[in-house]
Amino acid sequence: MTAPTDRDLILRARRGDGEAFGELVTRYQKSVFNVCYRMTNERREAEDLTQETFLRIYSRLDTFDLEREFGPWVRRAAANLCLNHLESQKITAELDDDRDAGESSQPESVVEVRERSEQIRVALASLPAHYRAVVELRHYQDLSYDEIAGELHIPLSDVKSHLFRARKLLAEKLK
Amino acid sequence: MNHLTDETLNEYLDHELADRASAETHLAVCADCAARLAALQALFAELDSLPEEALSRDLAARITPRPSLPAALPRWLTLTATLQAALVVIAIIAAAPFAVDLVSPYLVTVQMPSLTEIVVQFQSQWTTWLDMLSTFRFPAMPQLPPLEISSLMLMIMLAGVSILWLVGNGLLLRKQA
Ligand SMILES: [Zn+2]
Repeated sequence: MTAPTDRDLILRARRGDGEAFGELVTRYQKSVFNVCYRMTNERREAEDLTQETFLRIYSRLDTFDLEREFGPWVRRAAANLCLNHLESQKITAELDDDRDAGESSQPESVVEVRERSEQIRVALASLPAHYRAVVELRHYQDLSYDEIAGELHIPLSDVKSHLFRARKLLAEKLK
Repeated sequence: MNHLTDETLNEYLDHELADRASAETHLAVCADCAARLAALQALFAELDSLPEEALSRDLAARITPRPSLPAALPRWLTLTATLQAALVVIAIIAAAPFAVDLVSPYLVTVQMPSLTEIVVQFQSQWTTWLDMLSTFRFPAMPQLPPLEISSLMLMIMLAGVSILWLVGNGLLLRKQA
């Protein structure tokens, strides 16, 4: 017996089949989690956001166009959810600014950045939230400028300026 | 010779540059711009190299979407709905003779004797039964006063039950949505 296609599972999940939706979660949870992890650099938070993404997706399953691919759709939804989550946290983060400034002025050896991938994650996490979203969609989801503008509801000029500025900041941090 | 802008280099690597040929012509002869492009390319490669991490727990087991409506209804709501249905049936049966009372004069003028006869017969039978029922006393509790139900009381009860019914169904439908 061959495994059911995403399309079959979606149709079954739409009719309330929880098991079918569970199979979709099994198939895509890792890639969705990695979107959230790159965006937050917080494991626990990323797992919670992954769960939240799937719950939202489930309630919007009727709006999904079956001609398109399910994976990219869920991952874009995850990127958007993370962006909203980070933006809503911004106020709290700004209150903690003094403490953060103290930490980042410490020398690298004290911060103990062991691996290069860890350095990349830290660099990504240091970007403003909307820069992170644009980098995620361009570099990891392979979206075009136009598609990113549509996904994040921002003008094309903002997509470019956010992306180019983000890359400049990343290059400086990863020297 | 004008060097390529950062924007042009970014768009070139993103495959979003309309005029790739003239950028390539410049890159072929300008070491500075070629070096800037190489640095940007290296950053792209670094971002690509980031490995995917595994989850610490399986979310499929945790994410169980709410099952379909009947099973999801809380017990109190199911009980309320059943109680409502029972109340309404009782109210309709109890109110029937009084409703007939109100309607029967008009029925007579419309000249539908057969139906009216049946209704009136049913009414008298029903009211006798109701009379018996309202004056019924338990032998063990002789002190209980006889029950007196006016038609106004019944109307009010019926209205109350109808409102309960509507509110209950509203709750049910909202739950479904
Ligand atoms: Zn040049």
